Amino acid sequence: MKIRFWGVRGSFAMCGKDFLRHGGNTTSVELVTDGGNRLLIDLGTGATVYAKHLMASEFGRGAGRLPVLLSHTHLDHIQGLPFFTPFFIKGNQIRILGADPAGGSLRGTLQNQLAPHYSPLNGLENLAAGVSIESFLPGAELLVDDFEITTAALPHGTMWTTGFRIKADNKIVAFLSDVEYPAPHRPTREAFALAAGADLLIHDAMHDDDAYALARGWGHSPVSAGVHLARAAGAAKLALFHHSPDATDEAIDRLVVTAQSRASVPVFAAAEGEYLTI
Amino acid sequence: MEITFWGVRGSYPVPGPATVRYGGQTSCVEVRTRDGQVVIFDAGTGLRALGQKLAREASAERRRYTILLSHVHWDHIQGLPFFEPAYIPDTVIDVYALLTAADELHQVIGGITRHEFFPIPLEAVPADFQFHEVEPGVPIAIGGVKILPIALNHPFGSVGYRLDGDGTSVAYISDTAPFTEVLHKQHFLSGLELLTEEDRASLVKMRAELVDAIRGCDTVIYDTHYVPDEYARFPHYGHSTPDQALEILAGNDVRRLILYHHAPAHDDDQMDTIAAEYRARGAEVGIDVITACEGMVLTVGVARVVAA
Repeated sequence: MKIRFWGVRGSFAMCGKDFLRHGGNTTSVELVTDGGNRLLIDLGTGATVYAKHLMASEFGRGAGRLPVLLSHTHLDHIQGLPFFTPFFIKGNQIRILGADPAGGSLRGTLQNQLAPHYSPLNGLENLAAGVSIESFLPGAELLVDDFEITTAALPHGTMWTTGFRIKADNKIVAFLSDVEYPAPHRPTREAFALAAGADLLIHDAMHDDDAYALARGWGHSPVSAGVHLARAAGAAKLALFHHSPDATDEAIDRLVVTAQSRASVPVFAAAEGEYLTI
Repeated sequence: MEITFWGVRGSYPVPGPATVRYGGQTSCVEVRTRDGQVVIFDAGTGLRALGQKLAREASAERRRYTILLSHVHWDHIQGLPFFEPAYIPDTVIDVYALLTAADELHQVIGGITRHEFFPIPLEAVPADFQFHEVEPGVPIAIGGVKILPIALNHPFGSVGYRLDGDGTSVAYISDTAPFTEVLHKQHFLSGLELLTEEDRASLVKMRAELVDAIRGCDTVIYDTHYVPDEYARFPHYGHSTPDQALEILAGNDVRRLILYHHAPAHDDDQMDTIAAEYRARGAEVGIDVITACEGMVLTVGVARVVAA
């Protein structure tokens, strides 16, 4: 299985020279199996860049198939949706799978994102591609092509998000973005289960441990939360993810050094770039 | 009057090496009068950095800001939840916008902070948001400036603004299609539709009112999203070319045109080409054409450009 980070930034897309090495696009991560099946997690602005990549393939002629998992529907995880060009080509088949937000539905939320006030697309029904919106309950086990996916609800401030444990080609990727545990060293049972024995743990690392003191309760983790979980759950490698919009490339470099000094496994900062083999 | 460009991009933010010089953040322009009044055109992603600056300067006397929205497509309002002054108590933020449907402005604009989209609802922020409906052709006075809303041609409606103050004037004309092939209404367009006689009359009237409104304006910031061959492919998307902007401005006693709302696909090199080509084209008709880049500061009324 291969992975490519198309967007690694949290909250807000950042442009300019201070954000070039890790990238300024918001959340979007692609997994590809050895057999060539693709799976995308989240539709942040990184998805607009991924869209260009896809349009050069069968998606450009309306013969693409893509499943998309949504961790949740906060703007930085869906803001690329209205500009994801494979939606505009008839024949493409795109599945969007996610949990219903509290008190609402996934379909209703995405429909609201494309409401005529906000978007000239004027609703999901105007996307030319075949688009299915599929809600699941967190905790559900999903089989999507040859990806075996375990889902679980994770605490995210006043709400929750969905974390994923994705198995394919005998490798396991755990995706735990936008999460804040009761305490950094007290991951929830669900988080532990998703990360257990993962070949790669992708974890929210929005704050350095000092800044976290001022951001407690906002729904994001300090770096040490991922470091602790990787050790406790026996993950083989840790990717720091969902970088703060205020974290320049140099700040992220320092974060990695600090994290590595405390970690039991190799640590790297997720960055936009090439395909990585897991 | 000082004009600062915080976001010059259309549609969505474009980070990365290809946009370092012109900038990747979406629509947001700050106008600051000589006495320190702040009027903001649009609340795209450029608003976050502007908000950080305003929060640093905030004082007991300076905690009131005016935001004039052209319309509420995502690229023009997405910065609002990240506007730092909104989280400072005793701040007043006046938001002016066009009411294009029966919904109340606070519901439409506040709707982007529903819990599905953002953790803190607009009603819960400390600042006092006051929403004001604008009507094209009906002027508003805000502090020392006079503002005229102007109807534009864009899906679900859009307004431009002419702002007069400090003895000079600036107009913000974004987003708009030209007034020829398409009349944008409140429905989805998958391509060109036949215009009725009534549609044609509406376009002629809209164009004439725009030309009247910006006559004699010192500086006009205009939606020039496309180059002509892109426009030819997407005439129904609601954006213009620099040629179309020049056609509206020529012979109308406008000193300067700012190319703005750049297509996300235009990298810095292409923007250089566009800037050079239209600077020359503007010179032929006596208009000083400048291509907006993020961080650019213009002092209006004085012919000088200062890099931020």
